[in-house]
Amino acid sequence: MKLVTAVIKPFKLDEVRSALETFGVQGMTVTEASGYGRQKGHTEVYRGAEYTVDLVPKTRLEVVVDDTDVDDVVDVIVKAAQTGKIGDGKVWVSPVDAVVRVRTGEVGVDAL
Amino acid sequence: MTSASAARGDRFLSLRQAVVADERLSAIQRRVALSELVDGWLARLFAAVPGEESAGFALVAVGGYGRRELLPGSDLDVLLVHGDAGDPAAVANRIFYPVWDAGLALDHAVRTVEQARAVAAEDLKAALSLIDARHVTGNGGVTQRLRAEVLADWRRQAAVRLPKLAAMVRARAEQSGELAHLLEPDLVQAYGGLRDTLALRAVAASWIADRPHLKAVEEAREWLLVVRDALHRTTGRRHDRLLFEDHGIIADRLGLVDPDVLLRRVAEAGRAVAYAADVTWRDVERTLRARRRVGRHVPERRPLADGVVEHDGEAVLARDARPERDAVLPLRAAAAAAQAGLVLAPYTVERLAAECPALPEPWPSSARDALLALLGAGRSALQVWDALDLAGLVTRWIPEWERVRYRATRTPIHRHTVDRHLIETAVVASGFTRRVGRPDLLLLAALFHDLGKGLPGDHSETGEVIAADIGRRLGLSPQDAANLGLLVRHHLLLPEMATRRDPDDPATIAAVVDSVGEADKLELLAALTEADATAAGPLAWSPMRARLVGDLVARVRTVLGGAPPPKPERLEPWQEELARRPGTAVRVDAPTADGTCRVTVAAVDRPDVLATVAGVLTLHRLGVRTATVETVDERVVLVWRVVAAYGAPPAEAVLRDDIVRALDGRTDIPSRLAARASERRGRVIRHAEPSVTVIPEISADATVLEVRAHDEPGLLYRLADAIGGAGVVIRSAVVETLGAEAVDVFYLVDRAGGPLPGEAVAAVVAAAGAALGEPNPERSRVI
Repeated sequence: MKLVTAVIKPFKLDEVRSALETFGVQGMTVTEASGYGRQKGHTEVYRGAEYTVDLVPKTRLEVVVDDTDVDDVVDVIVKAAQTGKIGDGKVWVSPVDAVVRVRTGEVGVDAL
Repeated sequence: MTSASAARGDRFLSLRQAVVADERLSAIQRRVALSELVDGWLARLFAAVPGEESAGFALVAVGGYGRRELLPGSDLDVLLVHGDAGDPAAVANRIFYPVWDAGLALDHAVRTVEQARAVAAEDLKAALSLIDARHVTGNGGVTQRLRAEVLADWRRQAAVRLPKLAAMVRARAEQSGELAHLLEPDLVQAYGGLRDTLALRAVAASWIADRPHLKAVEEAREWLLVVRDALHRTTGRRHDRLLFEDHGIIADRLGLVDPDVLLRRVAEAGRAVAYAADVTWRDVERTLRARRRVGRHVPERRPLADGVVEHDGEAVLARDARPERDAVLPLRAAAAAAQAGLVLAPYTVERLAAECPALPEPWPSSARDALLALLGAGRSALQVWDALDLAGLVTRWIPEWERVRYRATRTPIHRHTVDRHLIETAVVASGFTRRVGRPDLLLLAALFHDLGKGLPGDHSETGEVIAADIGRRLGLSPQDAANLGLLVRHHLLLPEMATRRDPDDPATIAAVVDSVGEADKLELLAALTEADATAAGPLAWSPMRARLVGDLVARVRTVLGGAPPPKPERLEPWQEELARRPGTAVRVDAPTADGTCRVTVAAVDRPDVLATVAGVLTLHRLGVRTATVETVDERVVLVWRVVAAYGAPPAEAVLRDDIVRALDGRTDIPSRLAARASERRGRVIRHAEPSVTVIPEISADATVLEVRAHDEPGLLYRLADAIGGAGVVIRSAVVETLGAEAVDVFYLVDRAGGPLPGEAVAAVVAAAGAALGEPNPERSRVI
């Protein structure tokens, strides 16, 4: 099993969620985040005064999936989250040793 | 059955299980049956102790068990009372071990009567639980002595202990919220819940004040116990919070048609208990205050508004009030109470509801202003609004309110019922009134923004029609009513666009610009959005959402540009004619139907004219609704729309004489205003900081200063005096009072008639800020 973590633009959440649901992903964890990558924040002009935005609002999304689905899930997220502009975000995959569903005690793939 | 199993109480446990599972029993029957089962079992355990050991001991039920209110998940609160003789530890072990072995939650103590009294004297919760002490078995005389002495102590110490209990109730209410308004309320801890019914019993037991013997309160208490019983049986746990996920199954168990009915009935029960608690605690406070005073004391009656006075910490009707002839009185009384941080006396609310005629449609401006002043009072408006709502006045004024009363919003971001969310939004919005040029529209939009809920279709779209319709009934101009509707229609626009559309896409900004149209509406929508989300709950206004919305608003504002402040209207021919007359000319028109009257003053232009005339009007107890100042050659024309705080406006000749005398320097306005201020009630609710802003690029030949502040008598005098004192000339001004909010725009020039140089601007901003009381440098700025 793998944990797929994606950091995307907040307004892309609905599209990504809907694409993942269509693919068959049943649950996910979404958190509000802020950060920056290569874009290093950006500069805004407000009432004539320039100010630098260091950390940009982002949405962090986490899904645990079976090994066989990993590539497809990453692909679905990337396609849905893409605008082609700087700051679209990142997706990374990490290994998961074990998963337990709290309510039933099911483990492994059954708990996904 | 073996003696070991008998000691473990196997039979007791199986009987108890049968009682819990028996669906034929009503909630009352179940809790009495559970209490009797425990009584019987404890009596058998006590009887098994040899008589010589247990002589002089009594087993006493306290707390909920004492009241025979055992629920499936309740603790057993038991006190073993003994004299000094015997071996208390041995007796306690024989009785309590089997209870522990049976796995029941036992909250026990072993004490003499004196020890129990000492603990009760130290620990308020212990004292409250002992008030319900009930004899279970053993020496009845011991229990009787315990009860008599504990109650006597409680009465003797009431003057000290009741204020502590009141503080405990307040702290709990602060932490747990109000039962009537929460979507996931705690049936015990929330204000208006079961814990408050016990606090009322404790007050009654003190003989300081009686609890209201309202059938509604008894029924409310019984209903809450019924729901709590169903909750415990549904979840199998001892928690008392009515979570969303349990609403459906509990509603089914209680035979209700849907979860909304359950929540509505719980809310109604909570409202009844909270109202009784409010009344009782005020009674307690009054009685204790009276006891502390030496000699006979007749509470003073201080005027708050026409027909409304403060009496002993409450707003009540003045002796000369005529509710049967005064349709605006309920709103005026409510506004006056909320603005002074008081509550309306219960009898006053009853009279207002029973005797006042219906408001005419459209509402007179005085009614609208009073509603705005009520909403603008911040948190102190909540209790006043609740009292009006409970008396049926709110739905009489706004029939659409009925549909949202106690209505649940089944989304995870909301914490309150729809009606409470609306008034909470208005309360939050009242802190943002300095951010917008039209605080009146902001407060009304906040109050009405979800009135479309409960109707088919998108609630923002249906809400637009409803809000615009109410706006017209409230007497707003057609344009203002349409703008109110627009705000309601778009109240979710900014968060939706900010979180679901690409802010870098020009189409996103264009869509908002198309919907909003003008900068002043964007200001209003931004403030409404923040108020709505903040009132909904912490999830709805996270730092990230605030940031995304703020970013979008800043981008749209750049496109729309700033909103120009109002300019004075042109003078009418007769006013120009008045300006040409020598000396000082004054004309007072007859009051219009809405109770305001126009005062026109023409005088020789001097830096202090505006301040002086404003001071004289204040001394005549005239409230300024609007004022414009126009300079015509060497003369100045001031056109005022004023409303008399009490009775009729003064005669024209009297007012003219006073203005002439003041302009001649024969009246000491500052000291007379200071004397007047000292007569007024000390507490003034100020929950939004005043703002002083210099607006650039509006006028080529003047400096434009905008002041937004809480309106109060003498405000305009102080401002105009401060600006004049800073050595600048007020060439023209537009003053508006919207409910309790003043929005004043001054066009300022230097003595040569040009815009102010930089240092003069800073001086005038500082002077105006100082005149407003507590200047906030963050809010006083040049943009």
